[in-house]
Formats: sequence, C-alpha cells, structure tokens
Amino acid sequence: MATEKTDKPDRFDEVDWTELAGTRRRDLSVNSLGMIATTLPLVALFAYDWRFVGEREATFGAVGLEADWSGIDFMFVFTLLLFCFYLVLPLYQHPRMTRYYWREFKRNRPAVVSLGWLLVVFVGGLLGPLVLNAPQQDVLAGHQPPVFLSIDAANVAQCLGEVRGGRCYGTWQYPLGTTRGGKGVFRTIVYGMTISTQIAFITTTIVAAIGVSVGTASAYAGGWVDELLMRFVDIVLSFPTLLMFLLILYIYGAGLGMFIFVFSLFAWGGTARYVRSKSLSVAEAAYIDASRLSGAGTYRVVRRHVVPNTASSIITQLTLLVPGFLLAEAQLAFLELGDSELPSWGQLISAGRSDLAFAPWIVLAPGIVLFLTILAFNFLGDALLDALDPQTEAETER
Amino acid sequence: MTERGGPAGSGEPLLSVRDLEKHYPIEEGFLSRRVGTTRAVDGISFEIYPGETLGLVGESGCGKSTAARSIVRLDEPTGGEVIFNGDGRGRAERNDDGTHPNDVTRFDRAELKAFRRDVQMIFQDPASSFDPRMTVGSAVAELLSVHGMTDGRRRRGIVENLLERVGLSATDYDRYPHEFSGGQKQRVALARALVLNPDLVIADEPVSALDMSVQAEVLSLIEELQATFGLSLLFISHDMSVIERICDRVAVMYLGELVEVGPVEEIFAEPQHPYTEALLSSVPTPDPRAERERIELSGAVPDPADPPDGCRFHTRCHRVIQPEGIDLEQPVWRRLLDFRELVVSGAIDIESLRDRAATDAAPEEGDPVAEGAVSVAERIRDEFDLPRRLSDPTAERALGDAIGELLEGDTEAAAERLASVIVTPCETTVPGWTDHGNGHRSSCLRHRPEGRPIAPDPATDDR
Repeated sequence: MATEKTDKPDRFDEVDWTELAGTRRRDLSVNSLGMIATTLPLVALFAYDWRFVGEREATFGAVGLEADWSGIDFMFVFTLLLFCFYLVLPLYQHPRMTRYYWREFKRNRPAVVSLGWLLVVFVGGLLGPLVLNAPQQDVLAGHQPPVFLSIDAANVAQCLGEVRGGRCYGTWQYPLGTTRGGKGVFRTIVYGMTISTQIAFITTTIVAAIGVSVGTASAYAGGWVDELLMRFVDIVLSFPTLLMFLLILYIYGAGLGMFIFVFSLFAWGGTARYVRSKSLSVAEAAYIDASRLSGAGTYRVVRRHVVPNTASSIITQLTLLVPGFLLAEAQLAFLELGDSELPSWGQLISAGRSDLAFAPWIVLAPGIVLFLTILAFNFLGDALLDALDPQTEAETER
Repeated sequence: MTERGGPAGSGEPLLSVRDLEKHYPIEEGFLSRRVGTTRAVDGISFEIYPGETLGLVGESGCGKSTAARSIVRLDEPTGGEVIFNGDGRGRAERNDDGTHPNDVTRFDRAELKAFRRDVQMIFQDPASSFDPRMTVGSAVAELLSVHGMTDGRRRRGIVENLLERVGLSATDYDRYPHEFSGGQKQRVALARALVLNPDLVIADEPVSALDMSVQAEVLSLIEELQATFGLSLLFISHDMSVIERICDRVAVMYLGELVEVGPVEEIFAEPQHPYTEALLSSVPTPDPRAERERIELSGAVPDPADPPDGCRFHTRCHRVIQPEGIDLEQPVWRRLLDFRELVVSGAIDIESLRDRAATDAAPEEGDPVAEGAVSVAERIRDEFDLPRRLSDPTAERALGDAIGELLEGDTEAAAERLASVIVTPCETTVPGWTDHGNGHRSSCLRHRPEGRPIAPDPATDDR
C-alpha cells in the first residue's frame, strides 16, 4: 500500500477507475471500529454474568469487587458507548462544526446553565456510586436536619449534631439531612442521579433507534409500507401505556428495567412521525439528488445524508421527551407503584411525604433536584433546536 | 479513453437522446385512479457530440430540468432511449430485439453506477446542493469513495487539487457550505461534477441564482475547464444571453417538446420558430440602434397535463396562421383567437361587462336601451382590444353575430359560431420538422404547411 501511494497521481483526471471500481472493500470508520472494539468485551461480560455468575453473586466477584451489574447496567454502558462514539467523538472530529454549534448555543444563557446542571447530574450519577457508599438504613440517625438547619429535638431519636435550646442542628455527616429510616438524603439523591441518567440514556436510545428506523423506512419505502407503518404508529400513540404498565406490574411485578422497557417502547410514535416528515422534506433537497447521482446506494444516501440532516430535530424532540420519563418514574414511585428499594428521587419524595410537617427537606431536596433537571432538559431542547440547524442560519443570511 | 474533439455534426455523438418521454400519472381519489397524464417531457430527441456544448432553453416549467433528470435517471423516463457512447462504449450495434446496448434507460445497477462516472450534473440552487452537515471537501470526496477509492489521503489530495483548479483554495476542504457564497458554492459544485472525470456534464441553470458579475466568472470557469478537459456540456438555461455566450448549439424547448434545434449563431441570427423569436426578443442587444421588436407572448403556459392540440405553441404564438379566406392584421388575428378561446371556455362574464357599459352610457341622453346595447357590443370589443370593425368581412360577420348572441345570453351559439369560423391550421395539424440546412431544424407549420393532422384516435392520449 505504502509504495502504491507514492506513485499514484493526485489528480482527478489521472485516476484509473476501471482498476478502482472493482474494489468492494468497505472501510469502517474510526467510530464504528471503536464501537465494535468496546461492545464486544461488554457482550462477553454480559454473557459471563448471565451464564457463570450465580444469582446472588456480584458480577465482578472474581476480581474482588463488590459491584453487581444488572441488565439495566449493561444496557446503560452500551448506550454510553453509543453516545461516546456517535455523538461526542464526531464533535471532536469536526472541530469547525462543533465550534459553530457552540457559538450558536452559547447565545442562549439559560441553556448553558441548564447544560451545566445536566452535566452535574450526569457526572454525579456516573461517578457518585463509585465514590460514595450506598445510603444505609440507620434508625438511630433518623430525621437529622440538613446542615445549618435545625429541628425540634423531640422529633429525633438521637441528635448527631449540636443540641442548642432544645433544637437539634444538622451535621456535615448528612449535608441534606436524613429520612425517617436514617438514610442520608444527599447520598440518596446522588444515587438517584444514576437512576435518572440511566432512564434518560436508555429510553432515548430505544426511542431514537425505533423512531428513526421506522420514520426513515416509512419515508423511503412509501406506498403500502408507509401506510402500514404510520397506522402502526397511530396505534402506538394511542396505546394506554400507563395501564399496560400497571397490568404488568400487578401480574409480574416490575422494576426499573420493566419501566424503561414499557415506556420507551410506546413512546417512539411521535419521533417516528417526526422523522418521516423531516426525511420527506430532506429527500427533496438537491444534495440528495447529487448524492444519488454520485452512484451511492439508497442505504448510503439515507445513512450519510438523510438521517444526519433529520438529527437536529430528532435530538430536540428526544431532549423534550426525557423529562416525561423522569416525571413518570417519580409519579409512579410517589404512588408506590414500583420498586421501593430503588434509591430514585421519586422514592425519596414518597418516603418523606408523611414527615412533611416537621422534616420538609426529605421531600424538598429531591423535589427541587427533579424540578431543576426537568427544567434544564426543556431549556436545552429549545436551545438545541436553534443551534443545530446551520441551514436556517444560512438561508436567513442569503 | 474516448476520442474527443472533432467538429460538431461529424462522427458518433457522445449522447443521443431519442424520443425521450417523462409522463407523470395524475391520480385521484381513494383508489388512486389514474385520471390523466402530465406530459413533462413528451418525445424530445437531440445529440451531443464530444467536446460540444448544447444549450437547452425554454421558459420555466417547460420540462428542461425533467429532461435532464430523466437523461441521468434521477427520474425514470417513461419512454424513449438515451444512448451514451462515451467511456469506450462507442460503435455499438443494436441488439437483435431492437434495443441498444448503450441505452441508459436499460442499464442495470452496475452499468448505471459506471455511467455515473461518465455523466455528472450541476444543480441550480447553490444553497441546497450541498449537505449542510458535511464539509464541502468530504462532499466532493464522497464520490471518490463511492466508486471504490478507499485511500483517504489520496481522496483528500485529489479534492484539494481540484478545489484549487476551480478557483478555491485547498484549505477550503474543511469548510462547511454555509461558509461559502453562492458563486463559491457553484465552483465547489463544479468540482463535485468533475471529480470523477466525466465525459459529459449536465448543468441545470448553474448561474441563474447568481449575481451578474459572479455569473460571468462562473461561466468563464466552466468554459476554461471544458476546454482543458474536453468535456461535453448540456447547458440548461432560460437566459438566452447566457446560452449565446457558452453554447455551440441550441435546442429550444416548449411544453415538453423541442421546437427548434441548430447552431447558436444561426438561431440567434435567424430564428425560425416564433417561440425562439419571442425568447430572443427579450435579450438586450448591445447596439441601441438595432431595431428588434420586443415580442410579448400572450397568455400563460398551458398545463402540460392538457397540452393544446396541433402545434402546442398556437395558443400563444404571435405568428399563428390564418385560415384561407381570412386576411387580418396579425396582432388582431391573435387577439381574435384569444377572444374565441375565452368564449369557448365560458370565461367571459357578460353581465359585468354589461354593467360597466351601462354606467359608461348612463349620462348620455336618448333611448337608454338602444344606446346601451350598442355600447355593450363596443365595450366588449374594446375590452379585448379588438377594433370596432374588423377589416376582413368574413371574420367581422362572425364576430358581430357572436357578440350579438352573447348579449342575448346564448353563449353556446356564440361559441359554436366562433369555433367554426375563427380557426387556424395550427390547432389541427402537428407540425413536422423543417430542415434549414447546417443542422438547423425547426418545427413550425409556416415552413411546411402540410404537417401531420392530429390523430383522431383518443387512445393516443394514454400513451
């Protein structure tokens, strides 16, 4: 190869196409190679966990770690890999475009703050469980107030901090106080970040995968395929997801995995419809003709031109979809319909509602975090819509 | 690879289009019943010789772009042949079943992909002809990788070199379309069209979206590259001055059909078809003393779903032929035909004309009914720019009677009367081609009155 390179001319009119046209080797991008290289070990680990590790043993028990991964964790890592190789890495590979997006995005200050907050939640959810131990039940430490705040000493079994004038003050051991059972609110919130991040990533991936596939297939196939898929979308959209989930819950019981699975499986309808209409309009553009004229097959045209150009609206749509899932999880948890062992924000709010009169922080702290997160997603979605579309910009300049 | 150059009209054409048709079905209702056909391109034939530039000119909506898209099979043509003899395919004989081995419309996938290396296209709108999410360099390089060049460094080298050739710099490789001006984008589009080293480039109104000064630059670039690489060019435009500058031969298209083909000098000096004449009259001449009558075409372009019978241009033609026995001034004859068309289609609103005439006549003294009736008839003539009295007695009698019948409210009788007297051979006879020598042909009944009467068989409508 190396020798060939030097004596081949770099002029378009001196290329011997009859020689080149025979090559049918398909070159994989760095992104795909990275994705494959990291997914294979993950799949191997999953197979090992499923086949050789006992029900109650930790996944990493063999190397002396206590971490036990469930199906959700494997799925989460997989979506993180997708996120790295197909969203973050491309941004790094195209610095010019990234700078352009960032300039546009920066104009929207609330969105920048929102992005900061979501990064905190993301990093907290990712690293928190590695740094902090899981919140432990400790009945004696129940109802401790957050630092700088106090509570009537009569309401606590044992005050860990200072007692002044009949009031118990908070300590740094539990910066946001504790629940009735003595679990640290701060730690539970950090662990809840993991849950929220997992919900956000996995649902987004499932919804995007199904929505984009169905949407583009529908737009490109046309005819009865289009008709069939879109009527199916109608069914999906009108399906009572909550009732379905409750049914499964009562019959089989349901954890976080089932929640994510059921809710994301019935949420892609809007995305599919959106992708379809966007693909149809993108397919009209002259660059799609140019691409077809280059000799590229339909798959390549769709993969390289149609999907990336619908991406801006898909990303926006997905960002606005995530708050719905987070809220749904919190609502179900509040109604005690779900896994009560799960350290999610909703469970924490639910745990604190009976003590609202004298220990409001148990409800307020996770409530505010949830509220801010949902607000941040909404701000982010709006800002991304404006920032990710260079075409609208170019057209207004024209 | 292929023999290039050679004077136009000699040797084997690079591309030969035979009776190319692109009809779109018009479907209606729940069951998509086919109710008609839009004849966007309806049987056009022309040749392009190696190294030559053929201009395809016509108003917007006449099917030029559809013709181009059908030739390269971006749209599948519904009839005819496109025979491409470039890239070592020359001198092929027809197969036994009458098909041609080089017929693009019959190419399979692999042949079509190879054909893509030989014929490329430049699109009209520079704003939408590049993927906004791809650097222009990778957009151009994509063609190389589609055709099997896996070496990324080599792709980049070739594209950078080519970008410099079209007047941009190698560093523009990493820029995005929105960072370029319209003219620069058309330069990149030219690079994209050239990167596979094609024999033929189809340029679909490549400069019509650009400013005049930028137009000139891009046109000289096209000319320069064409000379350097011996390209053939199919240049589509509605702008006669651009055509005059860049083309060797011109094909004039009207409503899906060609009406005149010939060398550019001859067509500009002596246009044979009235439509060409009309198009040319809109070109500004550098000589202010040159007397060139500006011809305004009356009426709108007819619907290609229902093209006029006979010569398709007869509904707007300023030289539409008068039948034997009628001798009027040509403009009056044109307006008379337009008036007939309105009456026959029932588009005349007699009541509002009568009202307006009545208000005009009101201040005058005398018998209001008689006065009114006279002025309404005159009013109608004024309204349609017809003289109060036609110079030809036959036509005058028919017109006068018809207006009378209109005023009596008998629109059908008026329509019938006009349709029987005010007739032109242009609407009943399909003109054949007349050769004016030197490859200059036109299709107008004035040159060859015999023509071909329109087929009475309605089955041909569904062809």
